[in-house]
Amino acid sequence: MDNLILEIKELNHAYGESDLTIKDLNLNISIGEKVSILGPSGCGKSTLLRLIAGLEKPNSGEIIKKAEVMTNHKIFIPPEKRNVGLVVQEKALFPHLSVYENICFGIHRNKDKNKIVSDLLELLKIDSLKNKYPHEISGGEQQRVALARSLAPNPDLLLLDEPFSALDEELRKTLYKEVSEVCSEKNSSILLVTHDPYEAEVMTDKQLRMENGKLI
Amino acid sequence: MNTISSWRLLPFAVLIIFTAPLVIVLSSLLGNYSDNWSHLYEFVLLDYVNSSLILVIGVAFLVFIIGTVTAWTVTNYNFIGKDIFEWALILPLSIPPYILAYTFTGLFDPYGDANNLIRYLFDLSSDFVFFPNVRSMYGAIIVFAFTLYPYVYLVSRSALINQSKSMKEASRLLGLNQVQVFYKLALPMIRPAVIAGVMLVIMETLSDFGAVDHFAIETFTTGIFRTWYGLYDLQTAMQLASLLLIIVGVFYLIEKNTRGGSIYTSNNSNFSPNLEDNLQGFKALIAFLICFIPIFIGFIIPIVELSFWAYEVNLGFFNDRFISNAMNTLSLSLGTGIICAGLALLINFSVRFKPNKLVEKLSSLLSLGYAVPGLILAVGMVQLMVYLDTFLFSSLDIVLTGSIFGLMIAYVIKTYALANSSIESGYQRISNSMDESSRLLGISGWRMLINVHSPLMKTALLTSVLLVMSDVVKELPATLILRPFNFETLAVSTYTYASEERMLQAAAPAIAIVIIGLIPIIFLSKMIRSSRPN
Repeated sequence: MDNLILEIKELNHAYGESDLTIKDLNLNISIGEKVSILGPSGCGKSTLLRLIAGLEKPNSGEIIKKAEVMTNHKIFIPPEKRNVGLVVQEKALFPHLSVYENICFGIHRNKDKNKIVSDLLELLKIDSLKNKYPHEISGGEQQRVALARSLAPNPDLLLLDEPFSALDEELRKTLYKEVSEVCSEKNSSILLVTHDPYEAEVMTDKQLRMENGKLI
Repeated sequence: MNTISSWRLLPFAVLIIFTAPLVIVLSSLLGNYSDNWSHLYEFVLLDYVNSSLILVIGVAFLVFIIGTVTAWTVTNYNFIGKDIFEWALILPLSIPPYILAYTFTGLFDPYGDANNLIRYLFDLSSDFVFFPNVRSMYGAIIVFAFTLYPYVYLVSRSALINQSKSMKEASRLLGLNQVQVFYKLALPMIRPAVIAGVMLVIMETLSDFGAVDHFAIETFTTGIFRTWYGLYDLQTAMQLASLLLIIVGVFYLIEKNTRGGSIYTSNNSNFSPNLEDNLQGFKALIAFLICFIPIFIGFIIPIVELSFWAYEVNLGFFNDRFISNAMNTLSLSLGTGIICAGLALLINFSVRFKPNKLVEKLSSLLSLGYAVPGLILAVGMVQLMVYLDTFLFSSLDIVLTGSIFGLMIAYVIKTYALANSSIESGYQRISNSMDESSRLLGISGWRMLINVHSPLMKTALLTSVLLVMSDVVKELPATLILRPFNFETLAVSTYTYASEERMLQAAAPAIAIVIIGLIPIIFLSKMIRSSRPN
């Protein structure tokens, strides 16, 4: 159990009075492991990531990261203290900051910002964009920046919510490979949710299926 | 062809009339400089600059804090009263600063109601004064900040409401807590909107005459007034007004330019609206107080105090003088409203009828008058009327100077922007295909305006008349200077009573001004209620 980065036990969640979107879900992810969850739209994949990130509170169950309880019936660690990265299709880059500043945003003061950002810019092949603003770069480049920004604080776990679905097929395939390599190089644990089996196959070591809020 | 030319000429002609008083004021800088300048330079000019600067900095700082924090609170959190606060936070806009200044002095002066109450409650001696002197720079800063913060609140709220939820979530995951999200992410992102709002407040503060005059603070506006009415030196007053106009112009340009900060907005097609966090207990109380205190100081206190004064004089205020002043105000504001709405309709029609970049640019310049302080406009208008009297009626003494005519032109210049914004948005709702259809049916020019556009623009026309009316009713310095002899409006009557320290009598006209001032607030609050993305 010591090598587990994430443990989810009996997790249940519903939005308001509606039916459960997550039902008695259990999941373990080891350090450095890359896991994907496949499933149709509305099956609860994105909700699961939001619960892990602390952006939603579950009705019951427990989420443990590196042997520390993040969420249970008593404890709720806020998102900013979980050290979890999340990349979504929307990218959510800050429009008033340059690429460099966006990537710097989550790095703590005492760390060597320049070195971390330079390494990531090089790794994701976006060094030429560092002084540009999000509206000046393409969708694929924006997604690379979003990934670099999420990796910059060196998160324990990287959550990917269909990050490439808005991009064209060719670019998607390039990014699958590149992102997978980058994460391997940084030994990052990944939890990817997608409806694309090819994406899951290329990017992760283990594929799970989800239907109606349950892993099957 | 002739018809088209006349449509195109209209904005040019109106622009000449609108800019004439400003050109006259500015041209004074090229004229002679009287000996009074040495007096101004040696004794008071530095005070004018210092006081104006301190006032502007203090007000800007306070409105920035109040406007952004309240906007952030109602946009991002759910708590008791939030739905009411969302629109109630703009209520202080209906109180002109000079009326808040009058109620503040009535309340907080050494023998004002608030100090009397404290002495009564705690059985203190009659010379005990609890509240500090409100007739001071601090008092003025508070008065302006709590009546003008809605400018910043409105633009901040509108910008915050359009911020995507995912941005906020991304910053939380990158290590920012909720307070840090506000000042490290949300605030920098809405910076252009906030700067624009603060610039508007600065322009309004620099333009004010009534409040600073009541608090005896020597600013540019009081200086212009004293130079003219104390030293009887119109030329020097115009030169002082030119300096103020240049300063206001700089703030106007900053405001215009900062509005174009496109990189601060996300053009992401996958925008997801902000959802509010539910607050409970102590946090909900804090959020409630953050929103309640500005409304309490900027709206509830003056309304309660004015009502109390009005009650004290029973129905005595409802005399012939009040009715006569109210009728003067009503006819002036209604007349100006109709002229502005008609002019805005004609000009917007001319722009639409024959689109042309230059004409469009000129039309937008017509709204400049809104930024010009009423006092400066009045100074320029007096000189313009003198010129016109000399030129047109040289054999007679005075015809236009000191007439309703000059006053109404000044009002039209000052409030045209309000009418124009309403007519412009009304025209945006009329499809161009409607014009094409009527042209194919042989209806164009005046007939299209009268038979097609005017019926469709009824609501926009009414709105623009009401918006102009509510602003004209509040206007003080221009009315004080340009009104005909013995002609009083509600604003002038409030000013006169207050300057004579007859606060009880000032209550009735002040309440009437506030009630009429609520008209645009009702429109704005309706827009706010319907502006939520969900």
